[in-house]
Amino acid sequence: MEPVDTLAAVDVQALETEALDAVAAASTEEELDEARVRYLGRKSALKQALRGVRDRESGMALNALRERLEQAVAEREEAFAAERQRARTGDAYDPTLPGDAPPRGHLHPITQIRREVEDVFLGLGYEIVDGREVETTRYNFDALNLPAWHPTRSSRASLFLDDETVLRTETSPSQIRTMEERGGPPIYMITTGRVYRRDTVDATHTPIFHQVEGLAIDEGITLADLKGTLLHLMRALFGEDRAVRFRTHYFPFTEPSIEPDVSCFLCDGRGCSVCKHSGWIEMGGAGMVDPALYEFVGTEMYDPERISGFAFGLGLERIAMLRHRLPDIRMLWQNDLRVLEQF
Amino acid sequence: MRVPIGWLRDYVPLEMPVEELAARLAVSSCEVERVARLGVPDVDGNLGLLRVGRVVEAGKHPNADRLQLCRVDVGEGEPRQIVCGAWNFGAGATVAVALPGALLPGADAPLGEAKLRGEVSRGMILSERELELGPDHGGILVLDEPYEPGTPLVDVLPLTEQVLEVEVTGNRPDLLSVYGIAREVAALYDLDLAPPPGVDPPRDGDEPVDVRVDDLAGCPRYVGRLFRDVRVGPSPPWLRARLAAAGMRPISNVVDVTNYVMLALGNPLHAFDRARLAEGRVVVRRAGAGEEILTLDGQQRRLDAADLVIADAERAVAIAGIMGGEESEVTEATSEVLLEAANFEPVGILRSSERLKLRTEGSNRWEKGVDPHLAPQAAALATQLLVELAGARWVGATDVQGELPARPVVRLRRERASALIGLDVPVAEQARILGRLGFEQGPESIVTVPTWRARDVTREVDVVEEVARFVLDDVPFTLPARRTMFGTLKPMQRLRRRSEEVLVGCGLSEAYTWSLGPGDSNPGAYSLPEPLSAEHRTLRTRLLDGLVASARHNVDMGNERIALFEIARVYLPNPGAPLPDERWHLAAVVQAPDDETGFRRAKGVVETLYGALRVPFRLDPLEDAAGGSTPDGGTISDLAGWDVDGHWGAFELDLERLLGLLPGVALYEDVVTFPAVKQDLAFVVDEGVRAGDLAEAARAAAGPELREMRVFDVYRGEQVGPGKKSIAFSVAFQSPERTLSDDDAAGLRARIVDALSERFGAVLRA
Repeated sequence: MEPVDTLAAVDVQALETEALDAVAAASTEEELDEARVRYLGRKSALKQALRGVRDRESGMALNALRERLEQAVAEREEAFAAERQRARTGDAYDPTLPGDAPPRGHLHPITQIRREVEDVFLGLGYEIVDGREVETTRYNFDALNLPAWHPTRSSRASLFLDDETVLRTETSPSQIRTMEERGGPPIYMITTGRVYRRDTVDATHTPIFHQVEGLAIDEGITLADLKGTLLHLMRALFGEDRAVRFRTHYFPFTEPSIEPDVSCFLCDGRGCSVCKHSGWIEMGGAGMVDPALYEFVGTEMYDPERISGFAFGLGLERIAMLRHRLPDIRMLWQNDLRVLEQF
Repeated sequence: MRVPIGWLRDYVPLEMPVEELAARLAVSSCEVERVARLGVPDVDGNLGLLRVGRVVEAGKHPNADRLQLCRVDVGEGEPRQIVCGAWNFGAGATVAVALPGALLPGADAPLGEAKLRGEVSRGMILSERELELGPDHGGILVLDEPYEPGTPLVDVLPLTEQVLEVEVTGNRPDLLSVYGIAREVAALYDLDLAPPPGVDPPRDGDEPVDVRVDDLAGCPRYVGRLFRDVRVGPSPPWLRARLAAAGMRPISNVVDVTNYVMLALGNPLHAFDRARLAEGRVVVRRAGAGEEILTLDGQQRRLDAADLVIADAERAVAIAGIMGGEESEVTEATSEVLLEAANFEPVGILRSSERLKLRTEGSNRWEKGVDPHLAPQAAALATQLLVELAGARWVGATDVQGELPARPVVRLRRERASALIGLDVPVAEQARILGRLGFEQGPESIVTVPTWRARDVTREVDVVEEVARFVLDDVPFTLPARRTMFGTLKPMQRLRRRSEEVLVGCGLSEAYTWSLGPGDSNPGAYSLPEPLSAEHRTLRTRLLDGLVASARHNVDMGNERIALFEIARVYLPNPGAPLPDERWHLAAVVQAPDDETGFRRAKGVVETLYGALRVPFRLDPLEDAAGGSTPDGGTISDLAGWDVDGHWGAFELDLERLLGLLPGVALYEDVVTFPAVKQDLAFVVDEGVRAGDLAEAARAAAGPELREMRVFDVYRGEQVGPGKKSIAFSVAFQSPERTLSDDDAAGLRARIVDALSERFGAVLRA
């Protein structure tokens, strides 16, 4: 490039007037940017002149000009920014207009509760087992120590495909299958899913409903461990200040058998219609695994002299109805969006 | 079972408040539904206003034909004038009187002095029903003892009663009696238990009692007793009051005694009019084929050969343990009674009761198993009461027995009990609990189970339960000490959760629908031989039917923008295997402004799901229907042919197969920093050409430097002419190795244009 006589090449005064006019005249940020590029950009006359400066005096003059121009551009930019801000917050601005929300669906309340229960037990180091829903009578009844005359073995109570196949009446058969598959303790599992009973549909019954069932078999498992585990679950589901009590009960597959109650979370135990004025709400069944179950699976794998275990089962619909105060269980199967969208 | 507290106090000295007792029983023994209060309210001296009265004078009311005007001595010296509507008494009768101010059962306000047809009535002569002592309101209650006038009525009648309503589990038939509950309460509170009620009076004769048991398995014991000179009539008020409080209706003294003994001890009894038994004989046998009986409830019932009956020399006279026959029923004319205190085997009674759809207080006890050693005690109490209350003469007895079960003998290691419970229960405490419950304890931890628990307690763990239930409230709350942990979701469980989240994020809500439908598209689907209903018969092999039904319901409810999904099992035919192939499916229905949009929304959701799972997606169009199949073998459709209003898209995927398509862990690839060259290319093609085929051919022609080729518009109309369409793609060329020049891009583009022209006759629009 030819050496340039800088002062001769640039009429500082004229350039300044022209540039400041252009900056002032810019009515949009784009025009301001164009002006900045033209007068301050890499290829601008000023930058070219600055590159050719040889003497101190010219340099100072040109740099001073550059600073003045940069100052003017910056001020104008600020003005534009302020204007933009005014547009965003001024009278014309309406933040109450609805957001541009993507559509959002809802998990079914039973799924939400099932996950809560699952998460509690994942946290306690349990595995989650997906059991089968169609079972052999061997796993559904025999393995669970149900005597031959037990009413649930009748087609009046249960749904049979044939003499040896039944839609599971509780989630417990998957406990037996898990015991067989593992081949020995320790077992810490829960299973959730659909169970089937020949019930007449009404506000609190449907022939299909959901259970969660847990099983722990290890050395040294005690009734106290069962109490502590259910207390933990009840507090996770119903609040840390809940009390839990246990009542003696009877089930063929546990011995001793108990039923857990949680202190009523609506009246705090004072008595209300939800807890039938008892202060307590029944939550399901539980107990220590009956040795007959170990015998069914095989005492060489599960020696009741060496190991022990507990099991429990709860109905998910019941928890959902209590927690959300649903008046009718059928709502959980109608899938009315006006209901689903509340959860 | 209703347990009147006053009755319970006959056997155990209760002092604690009933509510506390109820709570204790609920924890350790049986459910307590509620504590009912019966009778006269025990408030503010109310009981003092109820007195024994002696009728001094009784005569017709001067102004009313149907009223009596009485003067009644209630211990005040001067008799009171009382107007009464009943006529079943006269002067000299001892009656129950309420004085003005008394609050009677069920009344809103206290009794006042009233003027009836001009005569003042300063009190009220009471009927059984007005005191809640029984159902009788035919006349006033005439007391059978000449109590002193003015005696507080509460001293001679159970005016106030609290009743525990308990529900007993199937393993505790021993609690189905007042004495059984008393035994439990005595053990819980360490109180003295009275001996069981009933002492045989001296026998007044030695006549034979003709009882033959043909089926000792069904009837291991039959105690028969014969009575003469029985005077059938009403029971005394105390007995009627107890039956009423326990929820049974008084009938006659003989029948009431059998019911009373059942409630007191738990052994159901039956009384026959012996004169009406052919040859005075009792035979316990199975029913003959087609045999019939007219039962006490007036029903003619046809019996099954498995039903156990009590017969006389000719015919069945009772269905054993369930209900007696009308023809041998005790009536007012009866004077010879054959009392049956038997024991029946539970399962047979249960089956007969189910088959006949006939459940009675008796069958309810038999089917749970009654202690066979109880029969003589029950017979003793009944005999005592029949002699006392019906003037009967006990003249004959028999006790036919088969082999009665032995009492189980169990070894209870005390340390084992504490270890299983998780609470150190001292040996002495265990011994005390078991002793109170009637377990005999010998040396070397040997425990002998009482007869009334012999069915339920046969193993060490059963004895542990006896200890555990007594200390249940004291058992601490602990968590298992863990050596191994399993706390992770399995891949299928993670896939389901991930899918749920993605679909909810796409705006779909989760539905739950029934696994049973009216029929199924798959002819091999499993059906229930005894369906729940015509609508709920077959185990489904796909989820869409249920979702469409839910969609329809939402349409009917006027809901809009309906979008539902479900993740659930389907039950596929599994030839050769005993059980169906249960697979997880995921299905969805989405509503849209038109069918094409519906299909594309459904497809978009599937694409998003596949994208979230990092599984490559492509749709294979179906040959003969709108829609296509997905890489997991599922389908996407527009629900054409389904009966649902509006426009829809739908899909159903096989999650088991989708799980198999999931890629492993994502491995990092260098981010391409060289700039992409972006262009829009529109091709005019025949209607029959598919966008997906164009894109695939373009990729094949241009190679990996074609980074992206996405449809953004499809145009039909004048500018392209009939039978044609224009598909516009947004295209990006990019190389991981260098900045592509304009020439590079032009070359790639030319390869695409040439390939599409050659294969599809596609023409690039200017």
